[in-house]
Amino acid sequence: MIAAMLKVMVLGVCRDRGALAMAFVLPPLIFVVFAAIFSGTSGTEMRLKVAVVDEVRSDETTRLMDAIANEPSLRMHALANQSQQSLREAVAYGNADVGLIIAGALTQDGEQSPIVIVADAGRSMAGPILSGHVQRLIASQLPGVALRRLIPSVDMLSGGLTSQQRAQLISSTDEMNTADNSKSITVGESGAGLFRMEVLDGRGNVTVSYYAGAVAVMFLLFSAMQGAASLIEERSSGIMDRLAVGAAGTDVVVASKFLFLTLQGLLQVGLIFVIAWIVYDVALLPHLMPWLATTVFASAAAAGLALFMASACTSRQQANTISSFLVLVASAVGGSMVPRFMMPPWLQDIGWLTPNAWAIEAYQGALWRGENTWALLTFLWPLALVAVVSLLCAFALSRYRLRLG
Amino acid sequence: MDAMVGIRKPVLQVADLRISYGARTVLSELGLTISEGEIFGLLGPNGAGKTSLIRTICGRVKLQSGRISISGQSNTKRAAIRCIGLVPQEIALYQHLTVQENLMVFGRLSGLSHKQTDLALPFAMSATKLESRANDYVHALSGGWKRRVNIAAAILHQPRLLILDEPTVGVDIDARNTLHEVIRGLSRNGLAVLLATHDLDQAQTLCTNVGFLRNGVIAPSGPPAQLLEEAFGTQREVLVELRAPALIRTQQVLRRIGFVEHPTGMEWRLMIDATAQKQTELTRALHRTDLEIKEVRFRAPGLDSLFSQITGSDRLP
Repeated sequence: MIAAMLKVMVLGVCRDRGALAMAFVLPPLIFVVFAAIFSGTSGTEMRLKVAVVDEVRSDETTRLMDAIANEPSLRMHALANQSQQSLREAVAYGNADVGLIIAGALTQDGEQSPIVIVADAGRSMAGPILSGHVQRLIASQLPGVALRRLIPSVDMLSGGLTSQQRAQLISSTDEMNTADNSKSITVGESGAGLFRMEVLDGRGNVTVSYYAGAVAVMFLLFSAMQGAASLIEERSSGIMDRLAVGAAGTDVVVASKFLFLTLQGLLQVGLIFVIAWIVYDVALLPHLMPWLATTVFASAAAAGLALFMASACTSRQQANTISSFLVLVASAVGGSMVPRFMMPPWLQDIGWLTPNAWAIEAYQGALWRGENTWALLTFLWPLALVAVVSLLCAFALSRYRLRLG
Repeated sequence: MDAMVGIRKPVLQVADLRISYGARTVLSELGLTISEGEIFGLLGPNGAGKTSLIRTICGRVKLQSGRISISGQSNTKRAAIRCIGLVPQEIALYQHLTVQENLMVFGRLSGLSHKQTDLALPFAMSATKLESRANDYVHALSGGWKRRVNIAAAILHQPRLLILDEPTVGVDIDARNTLHEVIRGLSRNGLAVLLATHDLDQAQTLCTNVGFLRNGVIAPSGPPAQLLEEAFGTQREVLVELRAPALIRTQQVLRRIGFVEHPTGMEWRLMIDATAQKQTELTRALHRTDLEIKEVRFRAPGLDSLFSQITGSDRLP
């Protein structure tokens, strides 16, 4: 008897492509995607995009620039012009994850650190990561610089170096810099005053504003998929058949669902951001219009995609399976779970194929960088395109399905 | 809707309709006319093309050849399609809405304004006897009541042609009779009704005309009584109900005599000339066999008998 029941279950899975995919294809696929994302955030695959400005242009700084450019765990972002302002803009707008300004001779003494690392508060951890890389590069490629910066300390602790001793030390460290060093040395004391960290402040709480946007988009997609599945029920319950002979037709049904899901999304996201504003001081009110524009476009994109999905699927179960998979993957790759700059570059590129990435960037632009709606169009037009194209596909597929019966 | 007076105008006219799917011809030179106040029962085995015919009438399948007109207009025109009220086989309603809310929604979706829907609501409710359940949720209704709402939602825009696809599936006898009354009432008001059904008893009791769809054409068609008269004349049908299936050998004998077996294997039927002497002789003969007979009945043949004869099936539907 158990064998008979077992056979029923086995045949049930084998003959149901959705169940088969859910049981054996999706788990490893999701694992691969998530492993790639989360291992990238802590492993060697994370490659920060760095904007660099060298205002000194000495042999040492040029060598450091070359070392940074050749460092596999860093990517260079080319600036339109080599200015501090241009670098800060690139970091603030997310074109570069972090910036590095060489403002003085690497060996100079004094209160001002020669290297300034510029990070956006939203990606503040990129600063320490870069400083770690640069310290390592200096230690391995320019060890003399590190030692030279220790001379004042040695001078003080030893009760004063003679001018001859000082000259000898300087000469030795210069030789170390120019020699082909295969050995590196460890530099202590945060690069011995070599770095200064500058964090670009936006408005309000950047982490909360990031995750408010990130979570909002993910739930927009989830709830839109859920809502759009009613299209499948209407098809299977004969409601679509009834409407097909009426004045409405299927287009009215799809269009009204699109409108509803967009409005529902607007309210949903609104609630999330109101809480973020009240509890976490996210700067919502000063940027209401750009926020509203972003939310409308993101909701419309989610609604369009969900209706397209519902039109394409033949059963609610199939729609649930596929949409759960797609939303999870899109949210992971698009930055709803982990900021995209922490992912390997190839995943960051794939991330642009998801509405999550565009919406999150738009929310960051609106609430953190304080951009106006016009400036946000760069991020909004892909969302609008997704909304329009997927809605048209949903119209066409719904008509086609009705014809198929 | 106008009350029926004098000559009935044709509402649905189908002529020379031909539908093919690839090499398979489903409907071939099909003709059909349904007039005001007529309830036409479309009968036929599964796969005969009933659904294709309905979908073509509703404009959902492209007309390949032939003509279809609804109230004098080609069915390719949207206005003509709007003259149709479709009652799908499924309960095509929003379960989480009340009866009245459903009707409001479907009224608006059928092209009526708010005001028109408000006016149409009492008519639809009254025609389907739904007034007492207006504020009940559809999911809370029994099958019979849901079927009534299903019909009400299709008549809000006062169509000229009502197409019902198996409207009484899964309902009990009382609910079925009530639904028949509802449909008859609508037809009395001048609505032309096309009823696709497998329920031959229903077709016989409810329809003014029936047509058997087979091999792509509707033939024969006409009033049920007339069709039965033409097919069987004065013949009576013998129904032999068994307590246990007949032995194979006995089954062979019964088939040779002309008996037709019901799918359950517990009932056999035969048409005979209806003299009292023959009936008595047959009953005696049956009791002398090894059949475990529960009951032997004689009755006037119904559409099920005709269906069996037309389709040439050795089994009844």
